[in-house]
Amino acid sequence: MNELDKIPVRQEISVAQGGAKRTNPLANVFDELVRFCQSRSMFMLHYCTGCGAIELPPAMTSRFDMERLGIQPMVTPRQADILLITGYVSVKTLKRIILTYEQMPAPKYVIGICSCTVNGGMYWQSYATAKVLREYIPVDIYIAGCMPRPEAVISGLRDLMGDIKSGRADNWKRYFQNYDHYLGNQQQLFGEDWQTPTDIIAEAEHYGLMTDQTLGEHTALLQKHQQPLEALEFSLGEKREKIQGEER
Amino acid sequence: MTALDNLLLISAVTLVIAVLAGNSRVGGWLVTIMYALQGAALMMMSGLGYSTLTMVQSSFSIEVLSQQLLWRFDALSWFFALITIGAGLFCSWFASGEWGEKYRDNGGSLRLFHGALALNVFSMLVLLASGDLLTLFIGWELVSWASFLIMALAGGKAFGYAMRYISYAFAGAMALLGGLLLIYAEVGSFDFQSLKEAVPTMSSATLWLLVVLLTAGFGVKMAILPFHLWQAKAYAETPGPGAAFLGAISSRMGLFAFIVVIVQLIGISRLVEMKIPFTFLDAQDLLAWIAVFTIIIPTYIALRQHDARRLLAWHGVGQTGYMLLGIVIANDLGSAGGLMHVFNYATYQAMLFMVVIAVIHRTGTSNLNKLGGLFTRMPLSYLAMLVGIIGLAGLPPMNGFVSKWLIYRSLIVDGSPLLFLGAVIGTLGTILSVYKLIHNIFLGQLRVEHVAVREAPLSMVIPMMLLAAVVFVTGYFPGLVLDWTSAVQASIGIPVLAHHLGGIDMKGGLDMIWIVSVLLVGFGFGTLVFFLGGRSKRVHQLDNYAGGHFLTAETRYHYSDNFYPGLMHLIGPWYRNSFEWLERGLISAVDTLSTAMQGLYRNAHPSYLLLAVVVFALSWVIV
Repeated sequence: MNELDKIPVRQEISVAQGGAKRTNPLANVFDELVRFCQSRSMFMLHYCTGCGAIELPPAMTSRFDMERLGIQPMVTPRQADILLITGYVSVKTLKRIILTYEQMPAPKYVIGICSCTVNGGMYWQSYATAKVLREYIPVDIYIAGCMPRPEAVISGLRDLMGDIKSGRADNWKRYFQNYDHYLGNQQQLFGEDWQTPTDIIAEAEHYGLMTDQTLGEHTALLQKHQQPLEALEFSLGEKREKIQGEER
Repeated sequence: MTALDNLLLISAVTLVIAVLAGNSRVGGWLVTIMYALQGAALMMMSGLGYSTLTMVQSSFSIEVLSQQLLWRFDALSWFFALITIGAGLFCSWFASGEWGEKYRDNGGSLRLFHGALALNVFSMLVLLASGDLLTLFIGWELVSWASFLIMALAGGKAFGYAMRYISYAFAGAMALLGGLLLIYAEVGSFDFQSLKEAVPTMSSATLWLLVVLLTAGFGVKMAILPFHLWQAKAYAETPGPGAAFLGAISSRMGLFAFIVVIVQLIGISRLVEMKIPFTFLDAQDLLAWIAVFTIIIPTYIALRQHDARRLLAWHGVGQTGYMLLGIVIANDLGSAGGLMHVFNYATYQAMLFMVVIAVIHRTGTSNLNKLGGLFTRMPLSYLAMLVGIIGLAGLPPMNGFVSKWLIYRSLIVDGSPLLFLGAVIGTLGTILSVYKLIHNIFLGQLRVEHVAVREAPLSMVIPMMLLAAVVFVTGYFPGLVLDWTSAVQASIGIPVLAHHLGGIDMKGGLDMIWIVSVLLVGFGFGTLVFFLGGRSKRVHQLDNYAGGHFLTAETRYHYSDNFYPGLMHLIGPWYRNSFEWLERGLISAVDTLSTAMQGLYRNAHPSYLLLAVVVFALSWVIV
C-alpha cells in the first residue's frame, strides 16, 4: 500500500509558514486581526448530500457545541463562509454544489466530510457519483472517515481555523486562478452547454485573480453558450420614453 | 359672512365645478385647487385647533318645528374637517392625472366621480358643522347617500355592495331617528345644551335605550361589531382614489357623531354609572369590549384576504376599534390617542390605498397572488408603502406608533390588562398582514409580465410622497397633532393631555424626537457602511439560492399563496363566518316575514275581510 505514502500528512502550522507578509508592520497587525476575526466567525452552509450529515447535529448542539468556536449554521450561501459537503456527491448534486459554491462571496472555504468526497468511498463503483470532489471545486479540508465522529468534525474545523488564522487557507483563489481547469472537469461531466448564473471570470477580474490559467479553451466554450443574466436595475420612468419612442 | 360660511360656500362651489367641468383634465385640476382653497378657508378658522377660538357660527339658519337649526364649527369639527379636506385634496390630485384619463377611457364617468367626491366632502362638512341634533341627522343622511353614490359608481358587483351598505345605513338611520325621537320626547328639544342638562335627571332605562339606539346608529357608519360586514367590500370596490378617500375619513363620521352625542353630551362618567345587572360590567366596559373585538376580528379577517384593496379596507374596520377604544377610555391619554389615531390613520390609509391603486394602474391587478418583485420597478411607491405599513403597524418612527402608544398607555393607566391584551393581539394581526401586503406586491420575484412595468406617474407619486412626509413628520413631532387633539379635548370636556412638540410630559413619557433621532443615527451609520463599504454586488433575481436549484423565469419561487400556513393551522378553524351566517339568517327571516305579509295583504286579505264582516254581522244579529 505505497499509495498511502503519497497522501500528504498535515504538519503543525506556524505563522511563519503562512501567507505573504506585508512590509508595513501595522498592515501586518491589521491583516492578522482580520484573519483572527475571520477564523472566529464562520458561518457554514451545510450541503448535506449523504449520511455524514447525521454527525452534524451532535456537533452543533449542546454536547459538542460548535458555536463556542464561533461556528454557526447559515441558511444562504450569500452570507456563508464554509460550504460543508457531507457525503457522496452524485452528478446531479454536484451541479447544485457548484452553483451554491459560486454564489458564496470570497473568502470561502470548502470542507469535504466522509470518504465519499475524498475518493468516492463505498460508492466508488457507482456510475452516478463524482468521486473526487476537488477536481471540480477546490477543497480546503477533507475530514475522512465513514462517517467521521463529531470530534473529528470539530478537529477538522479547528484545522481550518488555524489555516485561516495563518493565512494558508486560500484555496478559493485557486478556483479563479485555475478556472479553466475546473470548468474543463465540469464540462467533461455535465456536457458542453454547462453554465451557472454566476460570472466567474468577471469575479476573477474583480478580485484581481486573473492568471493565464483562468481563461482557456473551456472558458471559450462556455462563453459561446453563455446567456448572461443582467441584474435588475431601479427604474423611475426612463423606460417610459423608450416605450413611447418605439410607438412613435 | 363668517369663516364657516366661506368654507361651506367654497365647498358647494367645488361641487358645482366638479359636476360641470369634472370630465375634462383642466376641470380635475380646478377641483383640486378648490379643495386647496377649502383648506385655506379652514385655516382661517385655525384658532379652533389651538384653543384660541371656541366656536365659529354660520350666519345661515332656519327654523323648523320652532327649533332653530344651527350650523357651527368647534375644535372637534375643525379637526375632522381638516382630515376630510386633506383627504379630498390628495385623492382629487391623485385622480386628476393619468388615473382619471384611464378611468374615462375605460368608460367611467369622471364627472360623476369628481362630483361624488366633492359631494362627499361637502356633506361631511355639513355634518361636522351641525349645531343641534336635527342638523346632525340631516348631515348624517347626506353623508350616507353621498357615500352610497361614490360606492355605487363602479356598477356591477360594487353596486351590490353599495346596496348592502345602504341597507345597513337605513337600519342605522332608523335607530338614530328612534334615539332622536326619544330625546325629543324626554327633553322637548333638539338642542345640544338642553340634552346635556337633561341627562343627569334621565332614568337609567331611558338612558340605556338611548345609548343602545345611538351607538347602533353611529356604529353602523363606524362598522363596529356586529355591523362590520358591509364596509370592507364596499370600500374596496369603490373606484380608485374614491376608496382612498372613503377609507381615510368616511366612516370616521360615525366616530364624530359618537363623540358629540355620547362622549360630549351624555358623558362617559354617566356611562360608568350604568351597570349591567348580574355582571361586573358597565356601559363603558361594554363599549370598550366592542371596540376590542372590532380591532381583533376584522384585523384577522384582513389577514386572510387575497386582494390588496380588501386587505386594506378590512384594516380600516379594525383600526376604528383603536379610535373607539381610546375615546371610550376617555382619560387624557386615551382620548388623545384615539383622536390622534383618526388623523394618523387617515394619512397612511389614504397613502396605502393610493399605492395599491398605482399598482393596479400599472399592472392591472391587486391580486396578491399575482404580483411580486415590483420594488425595482416602482421604488417610490415601495417607499410610500413602507412608510404606510410602518405607520399602520404602529411602529416607530411613524405617527401610528404615537397614537397606539397613547392608547396602550391609557389602558395600562386605566388598569385594564385584558383590553390591553386584546389591543396587542390586534396589532400582531396588523403587523402580520401588512407584511403580507408589502411582501406579495413589492418584494420577492418580479414576474415576467411585469418586467416592463414602470413607476407610477407624478400625479400619483407626488400625493403619495407628500402623505409619506406627513406620516413621518407627525411621527417625529407628534406635538403638531397633539395641539389639535388637546383643543378637541378641551372643547368636549375631557382632561387635556400635557404634551410638548416631541411627545408627552409625564413620568415614563414619550419623546419621539429622541427616539427617532436615535433610530436615524443608527440607520445613518448602517447606510454609511453600506455605501462607503462599496463591496456590494447586484445580482440577477434568478441567481438566487433555492436549495441549490437552478431557477428559471418559469420557476415561481415567490411564496405568496397560503401565507402564514403555520399560523392558519392554529387559528384557521376559528374562521367560521359566524357573522355572515347571522346576516344571512337575518335576511332570510326578514324575507320570510315579508313573504308572509305579502301573502296576507295581497292574496288572503279578501277572505279575511269577508270572515271579519261575517263574524261582525253575525254577532250584531245575535246580540
